[in-house]
Amino acid sequence: MKHQVESQIIANRRIHGDYFQVDFNAPEIARAAQPGQFVHVRIPLLEHRVLRRPFSIYNVEPAAGTVSVIYKVVGEGTECLSQTPADTVASLLGPLGCGFTVPATADVQPVIVAGGYGCAATYLLARRSPRKPVCLFGARTEADLLLVKEFEALGCEVRIATNDGSRGHRGFVTALLEPFLKAAQPRPVAVAACGPNPMLKAVAKDLLLHGLDGEISLDHAMCCGVGACFACVIKRKSDNPDGWEYARTCIDGPVFPASQTVWD
Amino acid sequence: MADLSVNLGGIRLRNPVVTASGTFGYGKDYLDLVPMERLGAITVKGVAPFASHGNPTPRTAEVFGGMLNAIGLQGPGIDKFLHHKDYMPFLRTVDTKVFVNIWGKKLEDYIEVASRLEAEPEGIAALEINISCPNIKEGGIAFGTDTKQAAAVVAAVRAATSLPLITKLSPNVTRIGDFAKAVVDAGSDMISLINTMPAMAIDIETRRPRIANVTGGLSGPALKPIAVRMVYEAAKAVKVPVIGMGGVSTPEDAVEFLLAGATAVGVGTAIFTDPGVLVRIVDGIDAYLERHGCKSVNEIIGAVRV
Repeated sequence: MKHQVESQIIANRRIHGDYFQVDFNAPEIARAAQPGQFVHVRIPLLEHRVLRRPFSIYNVEPAAGTVSVIYKVVGEGTECLSQTPADTVASLLGPLGCGFTVPATADVQPVIVAGGYGCAATYLLARRSPRKPVCLFGARTEADLLLVKEFEALGCEVRIATNDGSRGHRGFVTALLEPFLKAAQPRPVAVAACGPNPMLKAVAKDLLLHGLDGEISLDHAMCCGVGACFACVIKRKSDNPDGWEYARTCIDGPVFPASQTVWD
Repeated sequence: MADLSVNLGGIRLRNPVVTASGTFGYGKDYLDLVPMERLGAITVKGVAPFASHGNPTPRTAEVFGGMLNAIGLQGPGIDKFLHHKDYMPFLRTVDTKVFVNIWGKKLEDYIEVASRLEAEPEGIAALEINISCPNIKEGGIAFGTDTKQAAAVVAAVRAATSLPLITKLSPNVTRIGDFAKAVVDAGSDMISLINTMPAMAIDIETRRPRIANVTGGLSGPALKPIAVRMVYEAAKAVKVPVIGMGGVSTPEDAVEFLLAGATAVGVGTAIFTDPGVLVRIVDGIDAYLERHGCKSVNEIIGAVRV
């Protein structure tokens, strides 16, 4: 069930650099949210704009009724959001979209692959997985690594790669995925990935090369956020004569099976 | 509470607020968020005889006062529309009037889709003929910017169905009254206007158009004064009901269109901003009527004092 909630901002604070966390009071959304879903936010200081902005849900506390989002200031919308004081009321739509599959049992070893602040979209998955995921976090540099302590506090093992080698493995995060692609795993592996498109493309390619599948969360600009407008489409495999179709990231995704995406 | 019901060419709407085609999907996407039983009607996204991918991405760009879109009429095609549970079977369960927007690349496409809907008309209050999409090279606006071609499409659809016909007009013409007359003379029971206005936005850093189709249709508040003018002119040109739309975001906007001569008002882009706007507009029209001592919304239709 989708809700429209006029939501009070409880806190909105800088984590470090351009990264912020905002906590909304939105009990209906907090109760219903599944890992990998998003909220579509009307940014109060952007009243002259017609479109909402989608944000992955980082965390929810159903008992307290809070929904938290981690965002990076990348443009006008996020700049305005970063300047919005606590107690401001913002309109939220949510929870929206199809999220990650939570493994049913501890027999499955979840592996999270995340680039930059993409890890935020996987936090609820980590929290709700019966077996704690191994988390492979990549970033350009150490300053772009987020939430490592939070994931460790859940009991996750976090392995790190940075492009410049400032922390962990020097190189791309996909290098850390390699050991999990080998056939002889102690248990079945479920890979969930969120991050920049080039990373997701590489993850999808590696998985498929090894006969595996996984789930990837795609980021896309959106208009309606609920499936009506067909603005946020990506190419997905289909059994139609063309072999592909445009699928809506807002309602068919944002999480898609890696095996279904078509990369141009 | 004033009487909000209107008679739209024999179709009784509980109030004059309808959703604009392409902004409300096929209804189901908004089921949790919008009480359908409060709406005058919903207009579904364009249906063609064939399934259609639509345009490449990016398809939309936000601009000051609105947005551009070139979705390109992605859609399931008539077979799936008629029989898949998420489309017509769902729409038959909804407590509001349903207008089915139709389009094609050639005249025969319009005839085919109209004939198919004529054969299974249950739950369809009217067809809206789209001759004004700015984002389809074939058909679409090519029909909508030539009075003879516009009339030919309407006449062909008229011959194919007895369902009430709405013809959606393009704003990209010099004399809107001529188009209103041409489609009404050809058998359209009413008209709706305006569609989006052809427009363009450029990313100055990459020097590339902000949407893949290069140009797209402008919608949103920036469009409204143009739309009010065109609704006013079209309503003067014909005697049939007019559905006015273009940038409606508030109850006051809707009242403006009613005063200009619209019998019903379409809401589109504003639904993206806030799905709650539809009911707020219905309630706001009522409040306006109360404030002005009107017993019925009909008292303000075309009541602009010029």
